[in-house]
Formats: sequence, C-alpha cells, structure tokens
Amino acid sequence: MYRTLLGILSVFGAALLLVALTFSKTLEAPADLRLANGTEPKSLDPELTTGEPEHVLASALFEGLTRIDGKTGKPVAGVAERWDISADGTVYTFHLRDDARWSDGRPVTADDFVYAWKRLLEPAVGAEYAYMLFPVALAEAYNTFAGHAETLEKQLMPAVTALATQSPLDARSWQDFLRRNKANDPLRPVDDDVLGELLARRTGTLTASDLATFRARLEHARAWLRDESVRARAHFGVDHGVIAKDARTLVVELRAPTPYFLQVLAHNSSMPVPRWALAAHGDRWFLPGNIVSNGPFRLANWIVNDHIRLEKSPTYWGKSEVRLERVDMLSNENQMTILNLYLTGALDCTNRYFPQELAPELKKRRDFEQAPGLVVYFYRLNTTRKPLDDKRVRKAINLAIDRELITKSVLGLGQAPAYTFVPPGLPAYTAPATAIRHDPDEARRLLAEAGYPGGKGFPRVGILYNTMEDHKRLAEVVSDQLRRTLGIEVTPYNQEWQSYLEAERALNYDIARAGWNADYADPNTFLEMFVTNGANNQTGFSSELYDRLIRLASDVSLLARDPDPTLAKLREPEPIRALLAATQSGSPTDREHARERLRLLLLREAESILVEDEFPIVPIYFYVNGTLTQPRVHGYSMRVLLDDGSFGPNLQDTHPLRDVWVDPAHKGEP
Amino acid sequence: MGRPGTQGGTLSALEAAAVAFGVATLAGAAWLPPKATRVSGASFGGLIAFALARLAWGVPVGALASVTFALVLFRFAPGAVLRRVTFLVPSLLLLVFVTTLLMYHAPGSPFAGEKVASPQVEAALRAHFGVPKSAVDFFGIYLRRLVVEGSLGPSVKVQGRNVETLLRPALPVSLTLGLLALVLASAVGLWLGIVAGLKPNSAADYASTGLSAIGLSLPSFVLGAIGIVLFALKLGWLPVAGWGDLRHIVLPAVTLALPHAAYIARLARGGTIEVMSQDFIRTARAKGLPESAVVLRHALKGAILPVVSYLGPAAAGIMTGSFVVETLFGIPGMGQWFVRGAINRDYSVVLGTALVYASLVTAFNLLVDLAYAWLDPRVRSRS
Repeated sequence: MYRTLLGILSVFGAALLLVALTFSKTLEAPADLRLANGTEPKSLDPELTTGEPEHVLASALFEGLTRIDGKTGKPVAGVAERWDISADGTVYTFHLRDDARWSDGRPVTADDFVYAWKRLLEPAVGAEYAYMLFPVALAEAYNTFAGHAETLEKQLMPAVTALATQSPLDARSWQDFLRRNKANDPLRPVDDDVLGELLARRTGTLTASDLATFRARLEHARAWLRDESVRARAHFGVDHGVIAKDARTLVVELRAPTPYFLQVLAHNSSMPVPRWALAAHGDRWFLPGNIVSNGPFRLANWIVNDHIRLEKSPTYWGKSEVRLERVDMLSNENQMTILNLYLTGALDCTNRYFPQELAPELKKRRDFEQAPGLVVYFYRLNTTRKPLDDKRVRKAINLAIDRELITKSVLGLGQAPAYTFVPPGLPAYTAPATAIRHDPDEARRLLAEAGYPGGKGFPRVGILYNTMEDHKRLAEVVSDQLRRTLGIEVTPYNQEWQSYLEAERALNYDIARAGWNADYADPNTFLEMFVTNGANNQTGFSSELYDRLIRLASDVSLLARDPDPTLAKLREPEPIRALLAATQSGSPTDREHARERLRLLLLREAESILVEDEFPIVPIYFYVNGTLTQPRVHGYSMRVLLDDGSFGPNLQDTHPLRDVWVDPAHKGEP
Repeated sequence: MGRPGTQGGTLSALEAAAVAFGVATLAGAAWLPPKATRVSGASFGGLIAFALARLAWGVPVGALASVTFALVLFRFAPGAVLRRVTFLVPSLLLLVFVTTLLMYHAPGSPFAGEKVASPQVEAALRAHFGVPKSAVDFFGIYLRRLVVEGSLGPSVKVQGRNVETLLRPALPVSLTLGLLALVLASAVGLWLGIVAGLKPNSAADYASTGLSAIGLSLPSFVLGAIGIVLFALKLGWLPVAGWGDLRHIVLPAVTLALPHAAYIARLARGGTIEVMSQDFIRTARAKGLPESAVVLRHALKGAILPVVSYLGPAAAGIMTGSFVVETLFGIPGMGQWFVRGAINRDYSVVLGTALVYASLVTAFNLLVDLAYAWLDPRVRSRS
C-alpha cells in the first residue's frame, strides 16, 4: 500500500517539477502596449509575406522609401527624406536620409534598395507580391517574362500543335482550349494585334491556317519575351528601372505615370532587406538573434503561437518621435479569447479580431470605434456553367437579393450594401451607374426571358463558402432570398479553406463566396483581377473590351495612338475624348491631372461592364473595420485627418506603431 | 469527386504497391522466430536511441550510446518488449507513408493562397521547401532528411524554422499541462468512482454518476467558457488566457481534466463493483480484516485495472495537447500544430505531429502493459 501511495506521490511531484521548470524562464518586462495581431506570422521577411499580421509587423520593423503617416493615412518621407518627380511623372529621384541606419549601425543606402528590389523580382525567390513593383520599368520583364516564354514553349505551343489536327474548330471549343491552357496569362504583356484578334475570337470557326498563324505569332511572342527578359536582367538595377546614383540617391524609372506609386513604396514588399544578414543566415535571417532591420522597432523576442515582443530601435533616425518602448503582438486566432483578454485589461487593443456576431453589442461601448474599409464581400458566378452562362440569369440573381436587409439585420455593424464592386471612399474615383438593385419583379421577368418562368426547369445550384459561421449565415439568407424570389433551388454548402480555394480556382462551383482587400488605395487593385483568365478572375468571365480598358488604364498614352475603336464602344466616350485632348496640351501639371482623371474614367468604364452588362459577380456589401481600444492608447484611430482639416475614415485600417503612444497618467479600466 | 488541377485523384499503382508492401512487412513481423525478434528489436531500439541521442549529443557520441543501448537491449530486455519494438519502426514508416498519401490526395497544397501564385513561383517554392508534386518523391525526400540530417523538415507556413524547432518548445508546454490534467483526472475520477462502486445505488453513487454524466457530455469549449466567465471575468481570480505563470495553468488544466475524470470515474465504478463481488474479497472479509484494509489492500488494485488500460492512450492524447483548450486559453502547445498543419496543408508539420503522437501512444501502451503485469497476477503468470 505504501508503495502505491509513494508511486502516486512521485508522479505528482514530477508533474509539479515539470510545471516549475516550464515557468522558470526569466520573465519579460511588461509591455507598454499589447495588441491582438491575428494568426501566427508566417515570416518576418518583408518581401516574402502576404498576410495582414505580417504586414503590421514588417511596417514596425522595417521602413521603405516612404511610410504611412498615422495621422493622415498618407505616404510621407521614410528612408527618403525628399524626392523629385520628373515633369512627365515617370522618373522619381529619391534623396535618402543621411542618418537612416540599420539596427546593427550600418547606413541604409540606395544599394540596399536595389538589392532588395532585385530580390523581390527574382523568379526563383518566389515572392508573391512581386507585382507590386510592376509599375517600375523592366520590373515585370525581370520577374515574369522568362517564365512566360517557357510556358509558351513547353505548354501552349505543343498544345496548339496537337489542336491543329482538329481544325476547323468552332469558337466555343477554341475559347475552352484557351481557358484550359491559361493562354492569356503569358501573352498579356505581348502587344500583337493579330494574336489579340485570335485570342478574342468568340464567334465563327478557326481554320487550319488561323491556327498556323497563331502558332507562328506564338513563336514570335516567345522570342520577344525571352529577349526582353534578357534585356531586363542585364539592365534592371544597373542603368534602367532602379539605379543607385550614389549611396544616398536612388533613381526610379516608371513604365507609365503611376499616381499611387508613393503608396506602393510604403508597402512591405518594397522595403529594404539587409543583404549581409541574408548571406550569413539564409532563410533564417529574420529569426531573433539574426535579424537586422531599419524600422522604428526591432525584434526582441518571438514565442511561436504566443507573442512577438518589439522594442524601440536605438538606431532609428526618427527615434525621438517613437514613444513606445516595448510592444507585444499577440498571436491568437480565437476572437472570443481576444475579447476576454481585452475585457480584463490584459490587452490594449483587439484590432479587427473581435467576435463579429457581438458587433451590435460592442458597438454601444464608448471604446469601440469603426470605419468603412476598402474591402468588398461578393459572390463569384461561374459563367462557364449552365444556367449561369446566361447573363440574364446572372442579372436576375443580382436583382433578387435584398442587400439592405442583409446589412441591417444579418450584419449590423453598419456595413454598406454593395451595388457596385469598388468600395466607396477612394479619392477622385466615382462609382459608375449600375443596373444592380433590389427588384424582384424585374428579376423574375429576366429569369422567364432566359427560359425559366417561375424557376421552372432551373437546375439546382450551390453556394460554396469556406467553413465559417459568418459566411454560413449569409449564404443561408441569400439562398432563401433566391428561393423565394425566383423559385429556384439553391443549396449552400461549405468546404474547408484549401478545398474551397481549389474548387474556386478550378471553376468547380456555381456560386462562390469571396472577398477582396485593397493592396493599395486605388480602384485598379479591384478591377485588374477580372481580366480574361487572370489568376484571380476565377469566374470564367472574359471580355475583350474589359481587358483593353484595364490595359489602357495602366498606360493611358496607349489610347492616344488609336482612340476611336475604343471610344466607339464606351458608355460615356465624350468626357474621355475631352480628357485625351487635355493630356496633349497645357502645362505639365494640367496634363498630369488630365492623365490621372482619364485613367480613373477608363477604370470606371471597366467597372460598369461588371455591374451593367455582364454580372460575373454579385457584390453584396462593403466591409466596416472596427476595434476596441483602451482609452489610454492614443494615435490608434479609425479616423484620419484629411487635407481640408476634417476627419475621414481610415480606409485601409492602418495604424503605424511609430505614431501610437500611451498616456501613462490614464490608469485603470475603461 | 474529381477536381481537375489537384494533386488528388485515385492511388497510382506505385503508391498502392508501396502500401501493400508496408502492410505485408508488418504482418510478416508477427511470424518472426523469437531469436530474430531479439535481434531486430534490439537493432530498432538502437536506431531510435540514435535518432534521439544525435539531437542531444551529436553523431559520434550518439552512435556510441545507441550501440551500447542496443547491446543492453539484446542481452537484458524481456522478449515482449523487443517484439513491440520490432513492430515499431515499420509501423512508423507505414504511418508516414500513408499520412503522406492522404495529404497529397486531399485538395489544396501548402503553396495555395488566396492570391494565385504563377507556376514559376510555385515551382520555386516547391523546390525550396522540398515538396515535389509526387507523394512518393516527397516520401523519399522526407525519409532522407529524417535519417541523414535528423530533421523533421522545414515548415512552409512558419518559415525559417524546422518542424522540430517548432515542436520542441511546444511539447513541454503540452506535457506539463497534460500531466497535471492527467493527475487531476485520475485523483478525482478514482475517488468518485470507487466511492460510488463501494455502495452501488446509494445517494453517493447517484451523485457521482450524475457528476460524471455532466463531465462527459459537456464539451470542453463549454466547460472552459463557463470557467472563464466565472473565475476570470466575474470573480477576477484567474487570468482569462495566456501562458507565463502558475495562475495561467489552473483553468486549462481543470478544463482538460474534467471529461477524463468523468470517464475514469465510470471505469473505476464498474471495476470496483466487479471486484467487490469476487471470492477473494469474501475470503478477506471472512478472515476478519477491517473494511478499509479490504478495500485498500485487495480491492483497489483490481478496481483500477480498467482505468490503467484507458490511461495509456488517454495520456498520449492529453499530453500532445488539445486544440480547443489551447486556442481557448491562448496556450502555445502542441495541439495547435495538429490542426494548423492539416488546415494549412503544411506537410512536414502534419508528419512531425503524427510521429510524436504515434511515439507517445506506443510508449504509453508499453508502460500500460508493464503496469498490468505488476498489478494483475494473472497477466504476470501468462507471460
């Protein structure tokens, strides 16, 4: 008996010893600020990460040529203390600060940026955000052209050769073939009218000679892509694209004027990286002990799945403006836990990670703040499947949904119903006219016109969403509305994240839930995704005019060459014609303004194709971002100061830690 | 459902053949003569010892230590233990292979994100992380890395780290929490169960079975939430979540322990009722022993037998962490990696956690067998 007791006691003793050992590590000094930061960050390499938690950390640890100012939400001087922009808006000369330092004391030089940008664009590095720098001359060629040439040679050209045996081919099978082989992707940079005409062929047949021409043009395109890629590798970072004139002068040449370029420079993808740390530690360079950074904070500790401790960097040029000494960024995905921690004062800010279903309750609290965000919630419609290949059916679905009801009764945080695709609030961009509204009668009429009166004969369709309570509730409401209004059978079903992504990509769905978050504050980030066979299109939607408008918007000077065929197809050609004239006369500033307005109007025309003609999507609502923040925290606001002195929404929900401070006099609970 | 463009689809002939070969090897091991079992058991034991010792002391010392260990095993270890070890290595290999197949045939990949990467980017990432498109190739790379470098491979989703560096800090956290929960569950469960079993159908019995029914039927996220609301939010005695000092461990340990305590109580109650009706108890009572001695000296051992066989797998499960409890209380333990690895299709993480779990299950089952032999004279005489 005593042996048994002794055994039990020793097990108990061992357990306690283990507990004591686990907790015996030295405790950290308490942080000034503790923030919820979502899921465990994948990496702290600013060039390789894509997620929101990583973006927040990268912006604290590193600094680009510009940075986002916490008060105004606009790009201001970062490592570059000033810059000159050429009259035509394509050459930026950055003058770097003389006191910009890495955390190991080395100066931050123009070469560091050249190195970092070349690394970002190096295909073998596999940076997903490489496209952020595509406005820079030769950047896209450096990053993608060699791969495109290879795809053409190894996949598309053999496939076309094999297809030639089946000619003549009807246009429908031709478009299927192009989609299956993702033909438009590698050919997008190629400017070839013959190729463009063949790619856009949607009616009639393709003869053997068409296919032979296509193949010959492909060979031509492949050679051009390869040559351009060779040219880019020889010149980019040396005497073209981005050039380090001296240690403190960096010249950047753009492909075309890009008004949002200063914003791009504040994004983590274009931040500098320390080449000596990368050389010494390889892909472990960003771990504690190895990392060298140049931002307002440096990495003090990293406990995976628990928290990351940041501390003020003593080498940062603006250290006198940084008021926080220590910051803890919590890695936790459980929104209820985050709320509980906040309510007991163990957390200073929930960020966006509070339970959405409690929004109506939390909204009543004084420490809750919210603002509209640049995010759209929408459904993709599979335009390659019956019956959704009929645009009358797609329109009917758009008209049958009562978005007011959804935003008021299902969501309740003040989200705005979406009748267009690009979220409101972007400066100078106005939404196009839209055919989307809540109109059940018209919806039924359209469905009858498409051959399904009262929903008769309409096949059962599914709404796919990734497994999550919020998406489930919405999918159920939408299916219910479609069922009642149109009399059609709609079944919501869920898949876990990876299966859902896969199904969407393979067009293996009827209707699928989606969301899109702005990479930068410009309509282009929303609209460019729907170009034919674009990787993020995922609806099968394809419009020659749409593709052309997106392309023209990226370089408006292309329109001046031969404007009439394009203008003839537009909804509102007159203002565009007038602006086109204005880009060719007047002072440089006036021309630049005209170019910018022209660009936005072209994008607006593109958006109107989505919401007036084709309806490959069902926009549902525009997001609202919110946060609970303890009153002692200052500078963490959902509002930003506008040029006219009034306040506007913090559209991108950015809160640079550099500009946040804590009032030590304000103690206690909210 | 066939999805074009996935790695999934039906098993290839090579994959099916490899699985069949693995199963056949395992089955064949059962017919090995005792002498061969001693040799294979000792050498596999040495291999496992080498894998562990290399991490701690490096290759030369590790090799020396493991050879010594193998010799000791061969000379002194009981046959039953060596037989188990013989099964261990082929079953772990089969586990890794089948898990690899399952992962590769599930839709998605570690490199699929919301934004679509170009084929060139994906190819670069696949080469960098050693995740080729074929499951068999991956298995080869994984084994080579495991044997040659002694590494569980890089994680794709938590970059710059190998799986062993991720699991190393997480395992003690889960072990601590799990062991504490296990001790708590055994103490509470045994006490409740034996009290109930000694007087079946009494008030004490009903109270105990009632409590264990509640403990079994309430899921841990409800139990945990009740605990948080009561002790953290209302009373403010304990922190809501986090990991860092002793106060943090109380709520999660209790949450983790309660369902197990309830189950143990049921098993102990059944065991006690059965033992108390045995002849040897009547004999003990007849020779005039006080009731306490009858229970403690004679009944207890028999009553806890079913509990012991439950504790083996339960210990392995509880000590590798619980995803629900860990996310609820924000604990950086092992449980999160099981779920995260699978959700992210982070193949090396999935395999690493599966290996750790399988090793613990095997180890605890071995311990249970040994404990059985010690507790139950009938088992001892049989082997």
